[in-house]
Amino acid sequence: MNTLTDNAIMLKVKAGELDLMGLLFQRYHRQLYGFLFHMTYQKEASEDMVQQVFYKMLKYRASFAGTSEFVHWMYAIARNVLKDQGRKKKLTMAGIAVDELADVIPGGVEVNGQIERKQAAQTLQKAMAKLKEDDRDILSLSRFQELKHGEIAQIMNISEGAVKVRVHRAMCQLKEIYTRIER
Amino acid sequence: MDCEKYEELFTGWINKDISPAEREKLEKHLATCNGCREELAFMQAMWTDMGEIATPEPSAHMEVKFRAMLDTFKTQEAEKFSFKNWLGNLWQMQPRWPMAYNLAVILVAFGFGFWAMNKGTNNQDKGQLQELSAQVHELKQTMVLAMLENPSASERMKAVSYTSEMKHADDQVIEALLSTLNNDPNVNVRLTTLETLSEMTRYPEVREGLIRSIKGQDSPLMQSAIADVMLKLQEKKSVGSFKELLKQKDLDNGVRNKIEQTISHLI
Ligand SMILES: [Zn+2]
Repeated sequence: MNTLTDNAIMLKVKAGELDLMGLLFQRYHRQLYGFLFHMTYQKEASEDMVQQVFYKMLKYRASFAGTSEFVHWMYAIARNVLKDQGRKKKLTMAGIAVDELADVIPGGVEVNGQIERKQAAQTLQKAMAKLKEDDRDILSLSRFQELKHGEIAQIMNISEGAVKVRVHRAMCQLKEIYTRIER
Repeated sequence: MDCEKYEELFTGWINKDISPAEREKLEKHLATCNGCREELAFMQAMWTDMGEIATPEPSAHMEVKFRAMLDTFKTQEAEKFSFKNWLGNLWQMQPRWPMAYNLAVILVAFGFGFWAMNKGTNNQDKGQLQELSAQVHELKQTMVLAMLENPSASERMKAVSYTSEMKHADDQVIEALLSTLNNDPNVNVRLTTLETLSEMTRYPEVREGLIRSIKGQDSPLMQSAIADVMLKLQEKKSVGSFKELLKQKDLDNGVRNKIEQTISHLI
């Protein structure tokens, strides 16, 4: 079973072998959690949303065509869940406390320069949290999920050229906020 | 120079997601443009530092919840398609419990609204108002208690979740929930009940009931979920029950580790 591709597994789920969703959960729940976490910086909300994404994949399994990658479909659903959630609960970044941010930055032995990099990362995370949702969305996919421009284009259903422009714009926004906080 | 065109290639260049032609074009420009070189260096540093923003580990509870969700989903799907259910629906004239529940609550609320409109509110009416809302509450409770007896697991789960909507739960409801926690044949119903009860720990009898149920749970899912709850509550009184549980020879190894950890965190 473990050698099956994601798509093959999902097609079996679609055909009624619902238990196999467990395999996909094992393969992707961390990654999905990472995406949702960088979109919200809220641990519990992200965990709840992972469940919702898997629930929706089960419920709407018939809509999985198998013509594109399973992960792309998964991210598309995750982005919908985020949108719904945002509408319902007004998931805003403004509410996060600084100490909550601090514990996501990895600790460990400090070598020269590492403290500075940690601080930079902390400031960057604050800047990420202040980004507009669209910008955070595309950076989460591109930087944290390490997806290629072509893959993002499929998930967002826009052209690859548009993805490049948007990633760049988001990076410029991030830079602007980042340098403002730094000062 | 038209630097903007080149800047759009920066992220592609940084994460090596760029065509050879574009790459060459950009590098040629960089050789002659100071501004772009600096900007690219800054972006690259920022990109690298972003990698230092770590993602925390999702909690172990997540998999448990996923399994529970999957099982419930499967039950619901099976119920949807089962022939028996179809036959049952044909002659089943009695309304299904949740529907009856909703309907009754709506009716009472409606009657209440009507009455309130006709009467206006003076002091004497306040007493009646309270009485009426007490009646609504009692009705809700009766319905929930009946629903907990329903043969369908998903209906029982709904009943459990209705109780969490109640502002205050009386002894009868608590007792029913604890009995569901200990005796319900379906592990998802038990998990949902545990979750609901863990929100009600302001009642001492709930805390005691939870501790008492530790020894009786035989499913690894439940054992590990209860350990999570006790840890969250920092309930030191649960240590004895956990130690009892550890004496069971057929205890799942993962659960054993978890419980040992829980105990060491609690004492
Ligand atoms: Zn230039």
